[in-house]
Amino acid sequence: MAPPTGPRGGGNRNSKPTARASRGGIAKHRAAGRTDRDGDVSMGGPTSGSNPPTGPSGRGTRGRGAARGASRGTRTSTRLAQTLKNYVGDGSRQPKVTLKILGVKQSKAASNPDGGVRSLLSFIERKADKDKKVVLGRGILEGDYVWVKANKDDLTSIMHLNGYQYAGANITIEETTEPFPTGSKISKEATDTRQKLLALLAKRYNIEQKLLDLSALGTDDILGNLGAIGSQSLAEKSFRAIIHVAGEQFKTVEEKKEGIQSVSLARNEISDVDQVFTLAYSLPHLRRLDLSNNQLDTLSKISKWKQEFRYLEELYLVGNPLTSLTGYATEITQWFPCLQVLDGNVVRTPQEAAEALKAWTPQPLPQLPSNLRDGENNVASIFLRSFFQLYDHDRHALASQFYDTESLVSISATPEPGRDADWKPYMKYSRNVQKLGGSRNPAVVQRLFTGASLIAELWRSLPATRHATLDQPELWIIDCHTFPHLADPSGQGFAMGLMINVHGQFEEADATENLYGTRTFSRSFILGPSKPGAPHPYRVLSDQLTLHKWTPRAAGTAPAPAVAAVPLAPVVNAANVASVPAVAPAVAGMPVLDEATRAQLIQELSRRTGMNAQYSELCLSGTANWNFDLALQSFEEQKANLPPAAFTATA
Amino acid sequence: MTYVDDTNTRQAADAAAKFVSWYYNQINEGKGVSQSYVTNNETYKNAGHPPADICVNGQVCPTPEDWEKLLAQQREAPKATADKKHVNYVVDTYDAHVINADYRFGATQNLIDIHGVNDGVRMMIMVNVSGTVYFGVSKRSNDEYSVKQHFNDVFILVPNWDSLSKNSKYGKKFLIASQTYRAY
Repeated sequence: MAPPTGPRGGGNRNSKPTARASRGGIAKHRAAGRTDRDGDVSMGGPTSGSNPPTGPSGRGTRGRGAARGASRGTRTSTRLAQTLKNYVGDGSRQPKVTLKILGVKQSKAASNPDGGVRSLLSFIERKADKDKKVVLGRGILEGDYVWVKANKDDLTSIMHLNGYQYAGANITIEETTEPFPTGSKISKEATDTRQKLLALLAKRYNIEQKLLDLSALGTDDILGNLGAIGSQSLAEKSFRAIIHVAGEQFKTVEEKKEGIQSVSLARNEISDVDQVFTLAYSLPHLRRLDLSNNQLDTLSKISKWKQEFRYLEELYLVGNPLTSLTGYATEITQWFPCLQVLDGNVVRTPQEAAEALKAWTPQPLPQLPSNLRDGENNVASIFLRSFFQLYDHDRHALASQFYDTESLVSISATPEPGRDADWKPYMKYSRNVQKLGGSRNPAVVQRLFTGASLIAELWRSLPATRHATLDQPELWIIDCHTFPHLADPSGQGFAMGLMINVHGQFEEADATENLYGTRTFSRSFILGPSKPGAPHPYRVLSDQLTLHKWTPRAAGTAPAPAVAAVPLAPVVNAANVASVPAVAPAVAGMPVLDEATRAQLIQELSRRTGMNAQYSELCLSGTANWNFDLALQSFEEQKANLPPAAFTATA
Repeated sequence: MTYVDDTNTRQAADAAAKFVSWYYNQINEGKGVSQSYVTNNETYKNAGHPPADICVNGQVCPTPEDWEKLLAQQREAPKATADKKHVNYVVDTYDAHVINADYRFGATQNLIDIHGVNDGVRMMIMVNVSGTVYFGVSKRSNDEYSVKQHFNDVFILVPNWDSLSKNSKYGKKFLIASQTYRAY
């Protein structure tokens, strides 16, 4: 690199901005000011050509502006330049420090409209370093101090201005680690107003009824004191403010939806809902709205809300001129699909409302019970029963029984943002490929646990669990099916596999407190044939556990879809193995049943078929061999041939 | 320390990434996905592969087109305005395991010879996707949903042999042999 070529050298454009201070002699009368600023922007190299950072307002003002003192254009354009520089991304963002500057209140600049902040900062930017451009952040006047952020590199240059005279006062600059006063952007008056609005809301919010009563705002003392009454535009503004402040009191959309279900805007002299339109955006899930005794005189005055409030159930418009229009009720009912009560009259049943809503918003698909297609031997039910029992009580045995050297296990947890702590035991193992950013991340390999011994080790480090029993079908959703073309471990040929997908929940022990909390999960397994000599004819090839915060809703308990709540036959099947000892689960063949389980099966079959206990037992113990599905099937086949005695209650 | 070839693991993760991003983008845009199932692939069909096993909320869909119909049914909202009619799937997490590194059904001997079991090509992969599905939202934002559900999709993917042959125009590297979907 050639040595610096002096003030006029154009060659410095792309070098580091040793940028001659614009105040530097000759340069300031030439185009150097521009070079200077361009140089700043062009740190990114070639991109500088396409940046028009200075624009007419800033161009050329630097030189003279500097001599004259602060100029609005200068600060704006240099800040723009800085922003652009950050945007263009010439390297990483520089670390920032926070500075507190005292003295502006005593200076002559204190009488400036902004309290002298801008001119003080311009002064510092100008004086800090004569060889290097210093750019400060946006300053904030808080109390006696001006708060500002600066690049760490510039700190020493800025600090040497400590004690300098500025506009007739000494300024003190100190670095601070105190948080930057962001809240202070709101003026004192705004804070006051806010407080008053909060007082108003507190007075008018009914927590039991989840009602925000904004009726007759015109007579409200607090609003009267604020001077918000009397002028139409002020009244509208204050309404927006009230709604905004009210919305802010809730952290999430759900909380807001829960917290405010009813709003009353009665007796407010509203002549067009346009005046209060914001309500639809802030509280779209509103269920009850009272607009009575206003001055809405035609349907068009309310039609702006036609596409809003999809969940509105009750609406009161009495006392408005429009209620005397013909067809008013029919029209309004059509606008709000969930509307059930208009002016106290029932216009829809809840069922009709649910039906009408369907046309207005996409609907989730119906939820059907567990779908088990696992062949004839109930492998899935038997496996899952053993699996969860062993997972809760003896994970080591589980790993050695069903897992071998080729088994794969991984876990992924999906916390809400900022809630990682709740998922701590799992986060370090979480193999969320999306979050890990693809296969280049070594964690993609490291967090895949291969082989029974590694898997057992992983499980040992996870919290103790208690899974619900499979006898509670409402807590489980299980889908499974067989599929072809796994590799046969014996060598050549294909083998059948079984895909099982389970949704459920378990209780988890907190290691420190020994308290139990509930987690919900989805877990999918691929079962395939074992290698010769294994304890079971099948093994787990793959086991993926996903932890999330959603509670699986089994069919029948789902609110929207009306699916008949039938007991899940496959889970009844699973009862077959209820008595099988955990350490040696029977995998195939006829499970040993105790009397209680038999009685349970008989009772269930009797309930489902209408047969009495005696015939139910015959049916089960016959060719069905205590397989519930087969028994049910043979009942369907033989139904016509059964004697009437089969259906009469046994004494 | 033994050297472990992790090509398959990495390739499977990347294949899952591509697949997941493509698949949910198609669904969110209301575009078709049926072309990505073995059911509609000539090579698999000719080799006698059974149709893809698709189970949606406990209901078996005989063909991928039936699943597309369900998706369309789910989007149905004739009176909704544009900002309230979309169904949007947002993937929170996915993971992939190679469940058969020596998959060969329907492959020509030539393909089996070229691609070894550690090359990350002839793989049968289980991909597990979880996320959130928002009903009744605009394309821009998921804020104003009417219903929000969790969804979990488990796919078994198999190689698309067509994409491995030299004069292939069809880029999809894997096809769906099985899909188990739940949203609640």
